[in-house]
Order: sequence, then C-alpha cells, then structure tokens
Amino acid sequence: MTSSIASRYALRSLLRHKRRTFLSVVGIGVGCGVCLFLVSYVRGESEMMMRAAAQSGTGHLRIAPRQWLETRNDDLRLADWGTGMAMAEKLDGVACATPHARTDALLAMGTRTVGVTLTGVDPEREPHLNRLIRKVTLGTYLTSGETGIVVIGKGIAERLDVGLDDDILVTASGQDGQIQGAMLRVVGIVATGSRALDTQVCHVLLEDVSRITDRRGPAEISILLDTPKRYRETADLLQQHVGGESVVLTWEELIPELAAAVEVDKTWTRLMVGVVVLVVFLGIASAQLAAVLERRREFAVLSAIGMKGGQLIRIMLTESLLLGLFGGLLSLAIGLPVVAFSATHGIDFSGLYGDADLSVSSILIDPIIYGDAGWWLVPLALGLSLTATMLSSLYPAWYALRTDPANALRVEH
Amino acid sequence: MSSNVLIQAKSLCKTYELGPVTVPALSGVSLDVCQGDFLTIVGPSGSGKTTFLNLVGVLDTPTSGGLIVFGEDTATLSRKQRADLRLRTLGFVFQAYNLVPVLTARENVEFVLELQGLGHERRRRAEEVLGQLGLEDLGDRRPNELSGGQQQRVAVARAVASRPRLVLADEPTANLDGENAELLIDMMQRLNREENITFVFSTHDPRVVRHAKRVVTLVDGQVSNDEIRNV
Repeated sequence: MTSSIASRYALRSLLRHKRRTFLSVVGIGVGCGVCLFLVSYVRGESEMMMRAAAQSGTGHLRIAPRQWLETRNDDLRLADWGTGMAMAEKLDGVACATPHARTDALLAMGTRTVGVTLTGVDPEREPHLNRLIRKVTLGTYLTSGETGIVVIGKGIAERLDVGLDDDILVTASGQDGQIQGAMLRVVGIVATGSRALDTQVCHVLLEDVSRITDRRGPAEISILLDTPKRYRETADLLQQHVGGESVVLTWEELIPELAAAVEVDKTWTRLMVGVVVLVVFLGIASAQLAAVLERRREFAVLSAIGMKGGQLIRIMLTESLLLGLFGGLLSLAIGLPVVAFSATHGIDFSGLYGDADLSVSSILIDPIIYGDAGWWLVPLALGLSLTATMLSSLYPAWYALRTDPANALRVEH
Repeated sequence: MSSNVLIQAKSLCKTYELGPVTVPALSGVSLDVCQGDFLTIVGPSGSGKTTFLNLVGVLDTPTSGGLIVFGEDTATLSRKQRADLRLRTLGFVFQAYNLVPVLTARENVEFVLELQGLGHERRRRAEEVLGQLGLEDLGDRRPNELSGGQQQRVAVARAVASRPRLVLADEPTANLDGENAELLIDMMQRLNREENITFVFSTHDPRVVRHAKRVVTLVDGQVSNDEIRNV
C-alpha cells in the first residue's frame, strides 16, 4: 500500500530543515525524558513511604472497630477478630495478617521511668509484618506462650538503665480506670536505626496487654499486602466481608500526615511536569510558526491548486504527530536507562540526612529511593510528547489557514 | 450565459489598501472567456494582469463588479467552495514554477489528483501527463534536480492532470530561455487543441502573444483592446 502524498509531504517537510527538526526532537526528548524520571521518582518515593509505613507495624490495611477512626481510642476492641483474621488471610494478595492491642503505660526501673505505648503482639506473626523488631541486637524476640516478658528499644533501655533479664515494672490504666501493674522481664533489646523509634518500641504478648488492661482480645488486625498497589481494591473487598461493626482502614487513613506529605510531593511533581511540558510546547510552537512563515508561498500554491483548510490542518498535525513520535521515542531512549538505574540501584540520600533521625511519624524511612519502572512509562512518554506537539501546532495551523493566497503569491511575485 | 462562456466578468474592480494608500488594480474590467480560448492578457507592469487572473482563479474577491466562473457567482461562494471550484475546474501555472520542493515531479502531479480523491489510478494518470509533456524519465527527480524548462513543464502537468476546463498561467515563460519557452507554448497549444483545455495567460512575452488566438490589452486596470486573431 503506497503512502499518501500528503504524508510524504509532511515527513519530508520535517526533513527539509534537519537541524531545526533535530533540535525540536531533542527538546521534546530531553523534556519528556526528565518528566519520565520525575514521575518514576515520585512514584518510587510514594511506594517507599507506603512500604515504610506498612513495615513499621502499621500494615497496608487495618481492621479496627468502627468507632476508632473518629476517636482513635486504643481501648476499643474488635467484636469478632477471629472472623476478621480468617477473612484477611483468605484474600488474594495478603502476605500476612497479625493482631495488635495497645495501651499507654509507664515503665519503671528503680527511680527511672519512661512513658511508652505498650503494644501487644502475636510473636509468630509480628516479624513478618514489622521490620523494626527484626533487628533484635541483644537477646531474642518474644516467644508464644511465654508471658511476662518484654522487648524494648535501645533508647528505652538506656533511659531505664536496664539490660537483658532485668525486671521492669509496667503500670497502665485498667478497664475501670484503676491503675494496674505487672512485672516484665527484658528478653530482647532492639536497635532500629532511629533514635526516636528506639524510645518507642515496647512489645509484649497480647495476653499480657489483656491481663494489664482487663480488656480481652486485640484492638486491630494489621495486614501486609503482596500487591500493595492494589491496597484500595483489597480494602473495599475486605470491608464487604468483615461486617458493620468493623472498618477496614488504609495506611493513608492511619497515618494521614504521611499521606499528606506524599500527596504534596505528587502535586509538586505534577507541577514540574506541567512546567516542562509547557516549555516544550512553547519551543515547538515557535519552531512550527517559523516553518509556517517560511512556507507561506507554498501554502498559497497548495491553496491555489485546491487544497482545503481541513487538508492543510491534517498535514500540519501529521508533521506534529511525527515530531511527537520521534521525540517520545527519544525520551524513552533517554529516560528508560535513567529510570532503570534508579529502579535497580536507587538514589541514596543518606549523605543528605547526615546524623538526622530517619523516622517520620513513627515510621522508619528508607534513605534510598528506588524509582518505579514499568510499561506505563511508554504511554506516558508518548502521551506527553504527542500532547505537547499536537497542541503546539494549533496556533501555527490557524495562522497558515488565515494566509491569503493571493496576497502571499503577489508578495513573492 | 452561453454554455460556451466559462468566465463572465462585468465591471470588475479591485482595490488594495497598502497602509494609508489605496491602489486601484482593476477599474471596471468587462470580459468573457470562452471554451477553447488561447487568450493572452498583455499590458505594462501594474496594469492589473495578475490581479485579473487571481480574481478569475477565485484566489481573491473583487471589490465591486460581477464575476461568474463556470456558472457560479463568486460573490456567493465560501472559502471552502472556492477551494473546491479551483480543485475541480481550474489549473494554475506560475512564473516561479512553485513546485513543492520536497516532492518529486511525479508526486507534484499526483498531489492534485490525491486532493481530488483519486486512489490508485492517480499514479497512472500522473505518468500519462508527464509523458505527454516529454517528462516520462524525470518523474523521480525533485524540482532542484530539473532545469527551469523542465520544472515549468512539470507545473503545466500538475495544472492539467486533473483535466481542468481552464488553466490560468501567470507569466509562464518569464524565467525560460527561448527554446524552452517555445517548447512550453507548443505543448500548451497541443493541449488546447487536443484536450480542449482553455488557456488564459498573462504575459509580456511576444513569443506567447504570437501564438495567442485572442489578445486582451490591459492598461491602468482597464481593457484597452480585445483582439481576435487568426493563428
């Protein structure tokens, strides 16, 4: 099948001024390549934040009592947590589900005291969800069935001046408001890498929290997903199964300040991408307008031989389409290696953090950001480049349409 | 209007606004062009020859007066209708050839046929017309690879490929040497005789005038003489 003369005319018109076309394509390629990296980076950063939140004990999702979202009251308990656990573990994409119960408590050793949030856990499941307690630097983690023991962060141990096998007093408020106390033996000390988090980690068995607070059962079930990108769909699906007394919350609802920070970053990235696309658009519009001005007589001749406005527009849009296509492919050639490198090797910001604490809102942040890569880069690159070039040709096309053929031919005469 | 009359101009006037100055290019031209004419419009520079051709070619609109082209009152035509009229019934040959530089000779001719909506047969038709004008071996060359005479013949081929009823040629031999000019005029005469294509030229060239069946003289935007000749 032979190509149309109009298509050949459009392609060869681009090749008429090779340098200008080359610079236009490079401009589009570099601009859109930068956009690819920006989007890949911010998606990777969002994923890191979500992963950090989930693996710091929060989980991607949480089944909690319905009233918890308004009150944030850790004294509330799940009505039928066994059913919730079973439902969660049955769902596709769930890596693990683990129960928790929390209470504010005071730890004391001699005259030294420190306020903590005592977290009751299932020691068999907790290490799958929570990476903070995988770094037990002294001793061991909790063991199922062995009550009266505690694992604390290094910061707590230092404040209380305790070590392994030391007994510390824990006091908390019981169900009737009475102060309840118990002795706990230190079996493990955790160093998370964050000074702030080292003063927060304080894990006991669920049974111990129940004993100290007189409140039976877990307050929540935290869920880690294999397919974190589908957390919203999984939440909706799980909500349909858990019943009306419980609510399924996402990590964004559990840590809204972190979600807000992620959204701010995404908004800035969209703004930056918009600015880059605008710059590309203006550059291409300028080049296209120059091309139209150079070809006024040619367009006048084409009009004289019977070319209609719509056909002229189609030719100009074909030229823009070709520019956008070449530019998009170049942006992939430039952007993909950079994205691939950042996705596999990551960008290490630990030097910028220096001695600063790597925690935000009780979440241990990873200073190495891995960019997000996938087939979505291809339609994004082509979409950005084609949008910029097609829009940029509208004004030059309108200008060309307004060219008076008699005037253009008379002037050249 | 007789079916033999292709163009009917009545008291045609055209003025141009060049800043504060108003320039009268045509001042009441009345002229009929009939089927089969081989008509030249002569006159000094600025007499309105090109302006008249632009009006007849519906590239421009008159300031006043009436102009009927192939039965259509040009004053009532939209921009799109004028383009359509040019595509279906007219051909243009310019002094500066005005071929599309990025297309080959054959593609320049095919382009008009493609605009008309012709499919596969456009290549065959383009080659046929190029052959008629002695350009059968030059179809793959671009305009910058052709001599002036060859380029102008390609322009004529482009103008006649769509089988127009009227070809408007604005100083077609001005940039050609004697031999090429004679060759071009001979070819256009042949097309006039054999294909019954009407030709209207604007020219200073006595070689063209010599071959014309009818010579209209324009002076200061008015017809000063209209001579039928036995050629």
